[in-house]
Amino acid sequence: MRFFTYSLLLILSLMSYSYAAMRMGEWGMVMNENSEQLPQGCDSIEGEDKIVIKAGREYAKEFPGTIFGYSQHTFSFPKCTRVEVTFINEDDIRHQFMIHGLPSYLHPQGMFHMELYGRGETTGTFITPNTKQTYLAHCDIAQHTEKGMKAQVKVGGGNGNLPSIPGVSGQLNKDVYEIDVGLKNLLLLAALLMLGFAISVFFFTRNKKTP
Amino acid sequence: MKKYSALSLLFSAIVLSIIALALYDPYLLNKRFFDYIGMPDYQAPPQSKPKPDIGAVTVCDELYPEWRKAYTIGGVEIEPSDACNPDNPYEVAAFVLGTNNVIMPVLMKTQLSDDSVVKTNDRDGDGDPDDIVIRVEIAELNGRSPDETEFLPHFEIAPGIAPGAWVFAPKSRGMATVNREDLTANHLLRLPSAPIRVEEGDNVTLILENTHYFPHTIHLHGVDHSYSNNDGVPQTSEKMTMPGEQHVYKIKPRQAGTMVYHCHVQVQVHFMMGLQGMFIVEENKPNNWVQTFNVGAGKVRKPSVGVREDYDQEYDLHYQAIDTALNNLIQTSNDPRQLAKRMNRLYDITDGTDDYFMLNGRSFPYTLRESLITVESNQHTKMRVFNGTPEMLALHTHGHKATITAYDGVDVNPLAQITRDVYSVAPAQRVDLDLYTKDDGLHSYGEGIWLMHDHAERAITNDGIAPGGNVSQIVYRKYLNKHALPNGEGEDVSPYFSPEYYKGNLPSWVASDAFGFFDDAGDKTVNSFKDVALIIVLGMLAGVLFLLLSSIYIFFHGLAAKLKGRQP
Repeated sequence: MRFFTYSLLLILSLMSYSYAAMRMGEWGMVMNENSEQLPQGCDSIEGEDKIVIKAGREYAKEFPGTIFGYSQHTFSFPKCTRVEVTFINEDDIRHQFMIHGLPSYLHPQGMFHMELYGRGETTGTFITPNTKQTYLAHCDIAQHTEKGMKAQVKVGGGNGNLPSIPGVSGQLNKDVYEIDVGLKNLLLLAALLMLGFAISVFFFTRNKKTP
Repeated sequence: MKKYSALSLLFSAIVLSIIALALYDPYLLNKRFFDYIGMPDYQAPPQSKPKPDIGAVTVCDELYPEWRKAYTIGGVEIEPSDACNPDNPYEVAAFVLGTNNVIMPVLMKTQLSDDSVVKTNDRDGDGDPDDIVIRVEIAELNGRSPDETEFLPHFEIAPGIAPGAWVFAPKSRGMATVNREDLTANHLLRLPSAPIRVEEGDNVTLILENTHYFPHTIHLHGVDHSYSNNDGVPQTSEKMTMPGEQHVYKIKPRQAGTMVYHCHVQVQVHFMMGLQGMFIVEENKPNNWVQTFNVGAGKVRKPSVGVREDYDQEYDLHYQAIDTALNNLIQTSNDPRQLAKRMNRLYDITDGTDDYFMLNGRSFPYTLRESLITVESNQHTKMRVFNGTPEMLALHTHGHKATITAYDGVDVNPLAQITRDVYSVAPAQRVDLDLYTKDDGLHSYGEGIWLMHDHAERAITNDGIAPGGNVSQIVYRKYLNKHALPNGEGEDVSPYFSPEYYKGNLPSWVASDAFGFFDDAGDKTVNSFKDVALIIVLGMLAGVLFLLLSSIYIFFHGLAAKLKGRQP
């Protein structure tokens, strides 16, 4: 049984590099591309779309507390559309643009993966499935997703937002910050507390007087 | 309302207290009580608690046992390894030949990027490449995620123990975790930072690609290098390498020896977080293809020509310590600004205490899986020891006295070499040892399984619970079982592989104490008439105290009413 598993793993690993949709070199790699095969439920390719995704620390400036980022963090496409992605890395380190959860009969492990080993540019193609769904796209280098390189791909309008998309949605494990004790903030806090106090006192004294 | 006499209540309280004390233990009232009435009756102490169920534990989680045998890949002869989880031989071949010189199927069996180790140009015509480009990245282990409940990528130093850490790692490709579901770190991302090997006289280009969210540098401690823009010290030689940037260090080392590389930004934090590794310069020899990285340290599966001339095998031994008050700070926030403040300004290393002690990134019992020194009789084993902890290392070998052949990469005059069984290694110091397994009562006392550990006793524990820490073993091969683990004659080690053991939930001798002499004692229950009487008396005492309080309340209430001039 174990031998069988290992030989299967071996065959799989051999397949992965001889897989037609894999390109790899000193610049990086594009894995599990799909520009021809139709996803289930698509009768034909109903449209073409092109996007440019830039990656780098430049795009973290806009969002405090992040270090890396993409030029855009939400992408929307109709169903059954062929999308040509141009991925540009503006840093001198590795970055990725990896979409998860795609149909695994088209993309092994459900992944469409673009990676650049340094500054540069590459293109890759995938076809959106016939499902109304929001897919995760990110850079899976340790702490890059966490520090801002997280995006969502909405197909057919998507099914809601993913958490921690910079500028779009909030964290599930919230970071805790101290309260500003500047005069302006304190006055505002005091005024709001007084307002709440006055509302409840007014409510109860008024209720008492009505017979 | 009926009034109680406060005095009678007070009297009752005193009497009840004395009765309760007498029922609990009259010895407390009068030391000679039992002299008058005879010795107390036998009352059995509680039974032991049932032995906890340890459940199924994995002693060796072997993934690729076939990797233990000797391999020849691309003409590189790779020595066998006895580790439970040995180094990937294809990766070793890629490190020896260079990722630019191996065929695609070999590179695909690793997770290295094509440009992580580039070897070209045999400039001195001695049969090995002399222009070496090495790319390292920085990875965070057990870090916080804004969305996941676990810390990732997950790396355990011992069962259930996963402190935060940063490491230098060879440049890789693909995901940091095994996959989307299994958030364990891919095997290149681990403690310690991988030892780097180059050859004396090589033109080495070491490129730091800062994939982490803080600024870093590399200081080549002890390695021959020029100063300008090359020393890794932000106060003197160069600007820090910011996230997303890279820095190129160029060296051509003229002296061989065991050296160190480490980050020199906020050293009291970054060094202790794990940005420290061994940097070994091998002697220049013909046809000397050295193994550029030794991921996880431990056995070198392709030793250099120079080492192979004098030794049968070679091990890298990197000792580290972790203060969780520092290391786990990275698990408290996802905001780098908060982390920078907490780590650099609020954490105070002068108040720090180390909790975990590691050899090659693991603490006992995981040292059994990959940090054993396995030997045969009459062999010379080269051991390069680096102390990355902030305290003195007092490394002790049971059953052997090894010879110190070099300090800090400088050979000791053979006439002045010292043979001993406790090797003191100062922080950041390196000691090269010649472990000679000749059974002469001096170098070795014979075959067996012999411990090897820091003899500063805190370092043989995992946060105070022993056995743990940097304990490893020198094992003669005939004592290894088919899972490459030592078959000792001592106690069963399986309880140590349960996370419950290091949480302190298992009795220390749980598996070796058939009679249950040292199991946890049970708790006290009500099991005699005396106990019943005691509890009832305590209840009565509570009632009396309640009445006493209520009479005090009535008294003050009456007083307050009088002061207001109303009728009580």
